[in-house]
Amino acid sequence: MTMLVLTLLGPLLAALAMFTLRRMPEVLALTGAVFGFAGALGLFVAVSDGVVVSISLPFLPDFPIRLVASPLTATLSMVVATVAAMVLIYAAGYMRKDPERVRFFGTMLLFVTAMQALVLSGDWITLLAAWEMMGFASYLLIGFWYGRAGVASAAMRAFLYTRSADLGLYIGVFILIGMSGTSEIAVTLISTGTPTLVAGVLLLVAAMGKSAQVPLQDWLMRAMAGPTPVSALLHSATLVAAGAILLIRTAPMLPDGVLLVVGIVGGITAVITGLIALAERDLKRLLAASTGSQYGLMLVAIGAGAPIAALLHLIAHAAIKSSLFLGAGVFQHDRDGTGLETLAGAGRARPGIFAGFAIAALALAGIPPLAAFFSKDAIIAAALDSTAAPWLLPLALAGSVLTGAYMGRALNVLWDGDAGPVQVPVPLMTIGMGILVALATGLGLGFGALEHMLGAEIEKPGWIVPAMGLAVGLAGLILGWFVPPARLLGPLLTPAQNGFAVAGGMDGLILRPALAIAANCEAMEQRLLLAQVGTVRRIGLGTAQLAEHADAALFAFSLWVGQLSMRLGLASKFTDTNGIDAAIFGFVQRMIAAGAQARRLQSGFIHRELALTAIGIALIVAGLLAAPYYS
Amino acid sequence: MIPELIIALSVGAALFGVGLYGALSQTNLVMIIMGVELILAAALVNLVAFWRYLYPDVPAAQMFVLIVMAVMAVEMAVGFGIAIARFRSRGSVEMEEARELKG
Repeated sequence: MTMLVLTLLGPLLAALAMFTLRRMPEVLALTGAVFGFAGALGLFVAVSDGVVVSISLPFLPDFPIRLVASPLTATLSMVVATVAAMVLIYAAGYMRKDPERVRFFGTMLLFVTAMQALVLSGDWITLLAAWEMMGFASYLLIGFWYGRAGVASAAMRAFLYTRSADLGLYIGVFILIGMSGTSEIAVTLISTGTPTLVAGVLLLVAAMGKSAQVPLQDWLMRAMAGPTPVSALLHSATLVAAGAILLIRTAPMLPDGVLLVVGIVGGITAVITGLIALAERDLKRLLAASTGSQYGLMLVAIGAGAPIAALLHLIAHAAIKSSLFLGAGVFQHDRDGTGLETLAGAGRARPGIFAGFAIAALALAGIPPLAAFFSKDAIIAAALDSTAAPWLLPLALAGSVLTGAYMGRALNVLWDGDAGPVQVPVPLMTIGMGILVALATGLGLGFGALEHMLGAEIEKPGWIVPAMGLAVGLAGLILGWFVPPARLLGPLLTPAQNGFAVAGGMDGLILRPALAIAANCEAMEQRLLLAQVGTVRRIGLGTAQLAEHADAALFAFSLWVGQLSMRLGLASKFTDTNGIDAAIFGFVQRMIAAGAQARRLQSGFIHRELALTAIGIALIVAGLLAAPYYS
Repeated sequence: MIPELIIALSVGAALFGVGLYGALSQTNLVMIIMGVELILAAALVNLVAFWRYLYPDVPAAQMFVLIVMAVMAVEMAVGFGIAIARFRSRGSVEMEEARELKG
């Protein structure tokens, strides 16, 4: 339980401390990440011993907040914490010169907290709250450089797209809670029937929005406007993963029909975003499209009834995609851009980083013994065994070929060209990326143990599936390296470059309906306020007016007190000025005037002085002579 | 009342009047000093007259007159010293032109 709290509060408290202190953001961020990682590690160890850690806090009546560390959630939490820690180390180097580091790291930690809450949530309400927090934090992060052209609108777009798909999650969750009478996820998973089917479809819509599945794939490419560490975090283990995680967790509940839709949507996404990635002219956007494609493959696995394969691929992809993004960020720093023409040959200038990038790229393409080889084989095997194999297998294989192709193309561009000047070393970025590359390399070896822990071991396939996976991966790599995308894609090039805008583009599909819904909601709310809730409104207004009266009385009283003391002050000022001051100054004035008068007597004429003397003496004499008469 | 005393006092009073008039009407410093001298002389006449006709057996009055005469001489010396110094520095002893003592 301590570990559960530590996992969530470590990053959150660090973020709060950062916003309060406004200094040392890197140190605080890494401290928070380390605490979060320690908590997740503790949970993972506890869970691998067979203990289910859970915590229940009082919240709404009958709907407490539940946090659960089951084998599945603890594993996901571990993935999130690891990737977050590495990305934060990298970001300490990447954001070194940015003046807004406090805001950046604070928001990153907030985001990590939200993701951990989402992963560990044991009830739907906590999950919804975490889902919202994460959407908001991702909006802040994508729009981090809001001053630059197009960034604010990209953030708004990402927010709006995912939010509109979130409606599905809300309705789905309400159906599930209404049906089973509890918000606990584990309990709702055993429900069946038509409502479950509806809820499943709605959950799929939410997952499609978050995981950028066709036709909601567009926002993911635009979200590249954020800083590269943000992309690395969003695309590997957090925001985009949330959709897949939702489906993995609810997979036991989904009826066959929904599963088939999930698989087909995933398969189509894997192919279409793969094509988009191949046609992209920007490295980060290529990686973004590739993220959509990989999550498509995960959905194929879920649709084929093997959520564990999807989970394995999610973990492998988290390490791989974050390494790729971090490598792209280093090249972006070197060349001041992420356009493929700009980056031509950037890999030669940094052989170390390029090697890491290449290992991750090969891993993603499914080359043994790297991580994604195992997970991709598991997906292909699941697609092969599935009842919908005729649909899913070709899509999965095509997605894998395209994965190899766009990775091959990216490697070719980075290697083929002028190396340019020698670059200065970037220690922090190298550390963060290096550890992730190591994970991308070695994770595959731990998959067996993980399957055992989750209690769902995947049957080891024969030679045919690995051979198929390896063949498509290699074929894709070779095609991508040697054949330019224009010839490879043929007539598909232009639509792919336009991002396969289905049904009037994303704006037509999401933006306009969203605005229309917003306008309708506004009108409905107005009507509700005026008509149905009129009484409540009147009571509320009455209370408000009472409060206002009391407030006004208080205000008048304090105003009166203030005015009184003001008058007192003015009066004392008046007496001060006109009484004491006037008396003293008047006295001084008279003295000066008298002096001036006396001075006029002193004419300096001797005879006049003498005359005055004589007159004075005469007066004295007269006084003396008169003495007998008045004494 | 002794008639001689009245006459002597009248002479004294006349002298005083002339002296006062001189001191006040003249603008020349020398003449002013003369007037002052006349006033003092009138006082001396009065002193001597009072002594001679009222207290002839008290010799202290004579001593008083002698001291006043000495003071007159000293005062004269000072007054004429000032007049000479003034004349030397300004070339005139006209008191209408001398207003330096004005406050």
